Amino acid sequence: MKDKQTDISVLQAELEKLHVASFGWALSCCRRDRAEAEEVLQTVYLKILEGKARYRGESRLKTWLFAVIRKTAITEQRKRLLRSLKSIAGLNPTPERNSFAAEPAAAFERSEARKQFQIALERLSARQREVLHLVFYEDLSLREAANVMGVSIGSARQHYERGKKHLRESLNREELDYGISWKRKENPGAVS
Amino acid sequence: MESVGNEKKIQALFRELKLADERVAPEFIKMWDRAQAISPGWISPGSSRVFNLSFAVATALLVITVSVLVLWSRHGQPSEQVNPKVANESTPPGSTQASTPAPHQVTHATPPPTRPVQIVVAQSPVRLKSNQRAWKLAARRKADLEAKNAVIREAVSMSSWQSPTAILMQSPADHVLTSLPQLDRSLNELKIFLPSTSQ
Repeated sequence: MKDKQTDISVLQAELEKLHVASFGWALSCCRRDRAEAEEVLQTVYLKILEGKARYRGESRLKTWLFAVIRKTAITEQRKRLLRSLKSIAGLNPTPERNSFAAEPAAAFERSEARKQFQIALERLSARQREVLHLVFYEDLSLREAANVMGVSIGSARQHYERGKKHLRESLNREELDYGISWKRKENPGAVS
Repeated sequence: MESVGNEKKIQALFRELKLADERVAPEFIKMWDRAQAISPGWISPGSSRVFNLSFAVATALLVITVSVLVLWSRHGQPSEQVNPKVANESTPPGSTQASTPAPHQVTHATPPPTRPVQIVVAQSPVRLKSNQRAWKLAARRKADLEAKNAVIREAVSMSSWQSPTAILMQSPADHVLTSLPQLDRSLNELKIFLPSTSQ
């Protein structure tokens, strides 16, 4: 019992160190919905406490934790989808949360570039977005990212390359559009 | 060169995103405490001692109960087996019991059997009751056997009954009256069966 308590306190300390990164990953898994991400992270901590999710030291704690978060987020999304389907069937639609509009993260939206970046990320497929987030945001290697995602390293690499390409294209397009619109505002006659 | 520049740009954007997320991240301790409060199986370090103590008390009680039951069952079985024996030994075969007396032997002045209850006086009421039941059962069986024996004895005595005046019917020549002359015997021997012609 004492050993278990010690294990839990050690794990708690480790989880605390990874908390911010875990929240960022949960946000990415929940399409930047903060409330949903918090719910997912709460569920993950609950799973760890109840022993439903157990770290066996087979991989890095961060990799294991991120895999648990990803799995939990997928489960929660399925549940939410079922709930929304039920509410549609009952002709009682629930107000859909707009992850961008309703989010009070005004600090992030202040920057137009960040906004464009988020839009570009949204346009990517889930796998591409995940691998890019894990590599660039969480500083994981491609192998670790593949472990988290539950795919082979080859597949992860493919998603990574395609994701980067699509993101680049999307950002360039956004920049171009922004430039055109900005020019239009400044000099309406310049762009015909 | 351009791709490296693009990668750096992406990295910078992700870093910016990370910084923005850090600002809105909830406190870890709040989430952890909430999870602990929700989790039904979670035992806080303070309550673990209480839990251990209660668990130990419950285990001790269980062990005591089981051992008492085992002891009770070991001591209870022999006394139940002995009691009928004691009952049989205490009552002689010819005597009757007060519970079911045979009608023709009521006049027998046999003392009441010493009950085995004395042996189990210090026993628990439940065991005493079971002992009494066993003793009663044995006594009833014995009474039934006695009744059957009495019936047989009565039948035997009836078959060997003799009238009080039977002695008056006896005479010295009974053997002549009760026997028949046999064939191939001499006339002289048969004369005794003939009426005397001398008169």
